[in-house]
Amino acid sequence: MSEVTVPAAQRAPEAESVSPGRWVRENLFSSVSNAIQTMFFSLVLLGLLRWVLGQIFSEEANWTSVATNMRLLFTYNYPTEQFVRIWFAAGALFLAVGASFAAWNLNPMVTVRRVGVALAGTGAVSLVVGLIAPDTTPSAVRTGFFVVGIGLVALALAVLKVVPEPHRRQIPFIGLLAGVAGVICGVLWFFPFGDYGFADGAPTAESGTIDSSTSLPVTVMFLIMIGTYLAGRALARMIDLGWLRRTMIGWWVIGPAFIVFLVLRDPEFDWGYVLAVDVPMGAAFALGGGALLYLLAKPSRSELARVIGALLVALALFHWVAAFFGWYPMLQKARFSFALIAVAALLAPTFAGERAARLRFAGGWFGFMVLFHWLLTGINTPSTLDIAAPPFLGGFVLTVSIAYYVMLASFPLGVLLSLARTSKMPIFRVLATTYIEVVRGVPLITVLFFFSIMLPLFLPGGMGISDLAAVFAGYTVFSAAYMAENIRGGLQSVRRGQYEAADALGLTTVQRTAFIVLPQALRVSIPNLVGQAIATFKETSLIAIVGGFDLLRIANSTIPNQPDFLGQKRPALFFISLVYFVVAYSMSRASRNLEERLQAGQAR
Amino acid sequence: MSIADQALTEEMASRRDMIVCRGVKKWFGDFQALAGVDVTVKDREVMVVLGPSGSGKSTLIRCINRLEVHQEGEIVVDGVEMSNDMRNIEKIRSEVGMVFQQFNLFPHLTVLDNITLAPIWVRKRARVEAEAKAMELLERVGIPEQANKFPGQLSGGQQQRVAIARSLAMEPKIMLFDEPTSALDPEMISEVLDVMKDLARGGMTMMVVTHEMGFAREVADRLVFMESGDVVEVGTPEHFFTNPREERTKLFLSQIL
Amino acid sequence: MTSQTDDSGTAVFTGHTRPPIWRNTSVLKWLVQIVVLVAVLAVFWFLAAQARTNLSAKGIPVSYDWLDEPANIQLGEGIQTVDTEERRLTMSRALWVGMVNTLRIASIGIIVSTIIGIAVGIARLSKNWLARKVSSIYVETLRNVPVLVQIILWLAILGSLGKLTADSGPIPGWVIVSQKGISLPRVFLADGFYQFVSMVLVAMVPVWFVRRSLKRRQDREGGNTHATGFTLAALAVIAVVAWFANPVMAFLGPIFGSVESAWGSIPQGLMQLLLSVAALGGAVLWIRRFLDSRRTPAGLAKLIDDDWFRMIFAVVASLLAVLVVVRGWPGLSSWIINSGSDLFGVIADKFGDGRGSRPIDAMRPTLSEGRFVNYGPTGLTMTVFYASLFFGLVFYTSSFIAEIVRGGILAVPAGQSEAAAALGLSRGQALRKVVLPQAFRVVMPPLGNQYLNITKNTSLGIAVGFSEIVQVGQTVYNKNSQTLAVFSIYMVFYLACSLTISSVVNTINRRLAIVER
Ligand SMILES: Nc1ncnc2c1ncn2[C@@H]1O[C@H](COP(=O)(O)OP(=O)(O)OP(=O)(O)O)[C@@H](O)[C@H]1O
Ligand SMILES: [Mg+2]
Repeated sequence: MSEVTVPAAQRAPEAESVSPGRWVRENLFSSVSNAIQTMFFSLVLLGLLRWVLGQIFSEEANWTSVATNMRLLFTYNYPTEQFVRIWFAAGALFLAVGASFAAWNLNPMVTVRRVGVALAGTGAVSLVVGLIAPDTTPSAVRTGFFVVGIGLVALALAVLKVVPEPHRRQIPFIGLLAGVAGVICGVLWFFPFGDYGFADGAPTAESGTIDSSTSLPVTVMFLIMIGTYLAGRALARMIDLGWLRRTMIGWWVIGPAFIVFLVLRDPEFDWGYVLAVDVPMGAAFALGGGALLYLLAKPSRSELARVIGALLVALALFHWVAAFFGWYPMLQKARFSFALIAVAALLAPTFAGERAARLRFAGGWFGFMVLFHWLLTGINTPSTLDIAAPPFLGGFVLTVSIAYYVMLASFPLGVLLSLARTSKMPIFRVLATTYIEVVRGVPLITVLFFFSIMLPLFLPGGMGISDLAAVFAGYTVFSAAYMAENIRGGLQSVRRGQYEAADALGLTTVQRTAFIVLPQALRVSIPNLVGQAIATFKETSLIAIVGGFDLLRIANSTIPNQPDFLGQKRPALFFISLVYFVVAYSMSRASRNLEERLQAGQAR
Repeated sequence: MSIADQALTEEMASRRDMIVCRGVKKWFGDFQALAGVDVTVKDREVMVVLGPSGSGKSTLIRCINRLEVHQEGEIVVDGVEMSNDMRNIEKIRSEVGMVFQQFNLFPHLTVLDNITLAPIWVRKRARVEAEAKAMELLERVGIPEQANKFPGQLSGGQQQRVAIARSLAMEPKIMLFDEPTSALDPEMISEVLDVMKDLARGGMTMMVVTHEMGFAREVADRLVFMESGDVVEVGTPEHFFTNPREERTKLFLSQIL
Repeated sequence: MTSQTDDSGTAVFTGHTRPPIWRNTSVLKWLVQIVVLVAVLAVFWFLAAQARTNLSAKGIPVSYDWLDEPANIQLGEGIQTVDTEERRLTMSRALWVGMVNTLRIASIGIIVSTIIGIAVGIARLSKNWLARKVSSIYVETLRNVPVLVQIILWLAILGSLGKLTADSGPIPGWVIVSQKGISLPRVFLADGFYQFVSMVLVAMVPVWFVRRSLKRRQDREGGNTHATGFTLAALAVIAVVAWFANPVMAFLGPIFGSVESAWGSIPQGLMQLLLSVAALGGAVLWIRRFLDSRRTPAGLAKLIDDDWFRMIFAVVASLLAVLVVVRGWPGLSSWIINSGSDLFGVIADKFGDGRGSRPIDAMRPTLSEGRFVNYGPTGLTMTVFYASLFFGLVFYTSSFIAEIVRGGILAVPAGQSEAAAALGLSRGQALRKVVLPQAFRVVMPPLGNQYLNITKNTSLGIAVGFSEIVQVGQTVYNKNSQTLAVFSIYMVFYLACSLTISSVVNTINRRLAIVER
């Protein structure tokens, strides 16, 4: 992997600071038209701000509805006494975030002056808000805006005065983030958020009680993230960075599945059954498959491997046909495993080699099978959690998980589709193009309806699918088409010479695709893929229409139906807009940074 | 004596045929790029292919390792016929090395990984062994110190030398060169030509498309002149540079010399 | 191996042997493709069979017969919301109303979001710091909040407005903003419009010829023959005359009426035959053209696998089309006949006696019984449902369009505006005459994508109860359980929209590319 970071020192140094008066003259009143624009846009800005503030602080808006339902909005009906699981899951994620920041050294430098200007700007906005807030605003809130505004401006001035040469001095962005997060944690300890919640269906809102269920865990999360980042940086100096990155990618691929199915759901394994059926079956596939692959991965047996692979594919398909007509019973898990071993056998010639290579190949299969069976067993097992009103996932957690899994599941599909669409084989091209264009031609909501209503109709008798799974399938099918187009852009950027050089060296088509074409194509598509991740995250709000309890559904129908908050839509809707905004905006900022780094990497 | 075997010395004629093209035809849609080419390259022979732009030199050389598929006629490489047989294609590809005008190094892999990729995954060598061999080849082309850099960090001449090392790592019996120096700045051309001369002296069978007449005169055993997808004239360097038979050859040589 | 080496070193061929199937690349290449194709078709066949069994087990076989049944559903708004004696509200007409609503909001949305998007996009590149900041806040805020959330938020905000009374306003009687919706004065097409347009078109034909000859003379003899001035003057005169005289064109009504009945009397068998001949003829023509393109002076070039595939594909596709026309969907022909004659009927209706002659008219909002009068000669009214969907879509999409416009302008090299400045053009002139035309080319493809998105996103109207196609369709299948049929209608409708938009964008792009040369 190539290192594509741009040392901060190479960036253009920031210009010498100018005096505020000169800045205003140059940027706001340099000419008549400029002055007119300034007037116009300040009116627009003030009008908009005033209107938004009017919506937020209107007499009808009861913001207690949001505070009371915070848990509902984030974790839906997850039982309070099991919250330690949620915090554990969050901890695992923050750990991964910290380690990933360290592994990819995502730590741009920011000049002190920019920090100071940002602080002063925030302070000024806060002051303006305090000034123009409508009369219905509670006076404590208005005072709060003034105090924060003055405080921030004072802090900014102090920083800019005290630090010498503020436009040259740089501080790491992570440090800044840690500082802000630390301040928030600290505030939580001294100004408790209050213990809002539901007891027996009725909201209990006693502000002022110390809420240990947020301040302590939040602080722990914060410490975990900073700790892993520092540990990761230290580690990165000692060990191979490539290894750390591969580990982190592996974790991001399987970690969330692990968290949702094993931690949040806590499967109640029936150990007798597990030992009698699941373990032997998993072991059979892992060991038997491993042995078969070890045998087939000998260079001289490549034609045999192809023939056996083709036979196994036929067998795997036959199992599904048989299931369709109900000829003989078989666990779905076994059918999937047969399909996987068939694919692996077809890949055996690609990974063939001397003993060590064959052992690695067979070992990889073994590990993969163990993990696969373990996760599937976990998914198929009932949960120990007693949830008052299922589904067990809802709110922000649902929004994020759906977005994450859809991206994860549609990625391989999208890669296959894009390869088919750019392939030289005309039938593949026709099939892939039809799929992609049809799916991209229709709205997401019709795809979701189709899957949630029609999928049960397509399944053979006795086979069922949960609502959420059907919706998830719809999202994946939809997203794969867009993914395919994004990756196709990358594929087209790989030059023909790369294919020819690979062919001339005698690489097989699979090897050429895996080692030469895809690594280059995916690197080019990263910015687009991040864009798609953001789009998918926003599109999860459509779950609300097809029946899931995501953020939007809770804000738009659950809360306004609570007896205490009848018809209270706007506060919760504003709040979830903010949540969506924060996540989507930080993702897009991160992707812009990434794009700059990639471009800088290419220029070299 | 067929046209393909023109101008062979006694000794040469007795050698093994490494590349045999007979009546090779190739169309791109409705455009005929090769119109029945007959050429034979003998073992340890260096054959230089000349011709104006668009005459089908690249197409011919690319048909020989099936980067293009010829449609009529036969191509036989070291006794293996180029056909739809997967085994034959694999065999020919692993015996024939190719060097491109645009180098075509893999930009996401280090120089070392570029060289070891094919030996590990096609020849199924152990990584240690492949890396040792790669370092040896890098010594031979004179840039062992660049092993861990990425192609984008090298000069054009260095890149082309890595590309040659990459092909040699597969231990080919035949090397094809398609204008290997055309994309290089003048001061880098000689470093690449030196490596090629070394190879020729070492007895490698080579087929070279180039406009470097100095190289052709010094190293080539025979020259082939092509025009409009056809072989016009085959001969030794003396023959070509002193008194070519065909008018078209004369005209072409007078333009580039 | 096919050759051996004899003592003299020359290869001796022992003839060609065909490689075994599992090593033959060209066989394998096609085998794999055909296996996958068959597998895909089999999966579809299985699923379809399963769906059919499951559906008939529930007693609801898939059909399209219900399209002509009375709808009995409540439509919020649209060109026809009630069932009357002379105009029955059938299921198909209800779906039609939904489609028109979709197209209405999509087309207006496209126009408005483009205007806002261009304005914001240019403001993002302004020299003025505040303009840049405000526009970038606009873009970043709007595009990072899901459009559905925005739509629902708009509904909540609009729902919290004041009640609709006779004196609600900002400007009572002229501009009304209330819980029930928003209403403005508007200009609309009145009775005489189509007669007016057809009269102007007919009268412009001779003018056009005169204009051409004037231009020719100018090219030949130089000087100024005032071709454009003449055309404009003639147009003005014709427009004034047609404004009053357009009832003359009423005779077109009966003509279109007879076309309607002639079209309607085409027998179904004939239509099937015509469609089949068209499909087969198209395939034959295509293959002939293709073979011609492969012909060289030295005879036909050698055809490769892919060439054969193309020809076989053309034949198979046309045979499939024939099969669908004749066996699979006999109703298609009668549908084409009926809808064709309906179309002429609608056109015929636009002409005729007893119409007022005024082509256009203007009206203020009108209220009746505390509600807006939505259709007919009245103000331009947006219901809250329409308004929330409209605002949500337009603001969201305009933020993307702004980014596209900005990117397009930035893509024009700085040298261009410098050159324009060097020629003495002002900043505004340089933008209009030099930068924007070039940016247009970069901007067109992603802009087309946004137009597609806005069209597809109108389907979110279902969340606020706006009667667009998906919402109407859902009401329909909730009533008669014909889900599969309704989904097929969705698909055809949206694919038609996508194809239309993308072909328009492609055409414009091609035009621009030619201009470049
Ligand atoms: N993939 C292709 N599709 C269509 N035509 C092609 C293709 N490749 C080559 N040709 C055409 O075939 C002819 C021969 O091309 P070729 O590249 O072999 O010429 P060349 O002798 O190598 O010329 P140059 O000296 O410019 O490299 C040219 O007219 C070229 O336009
Ligand atoms: Mg060439």
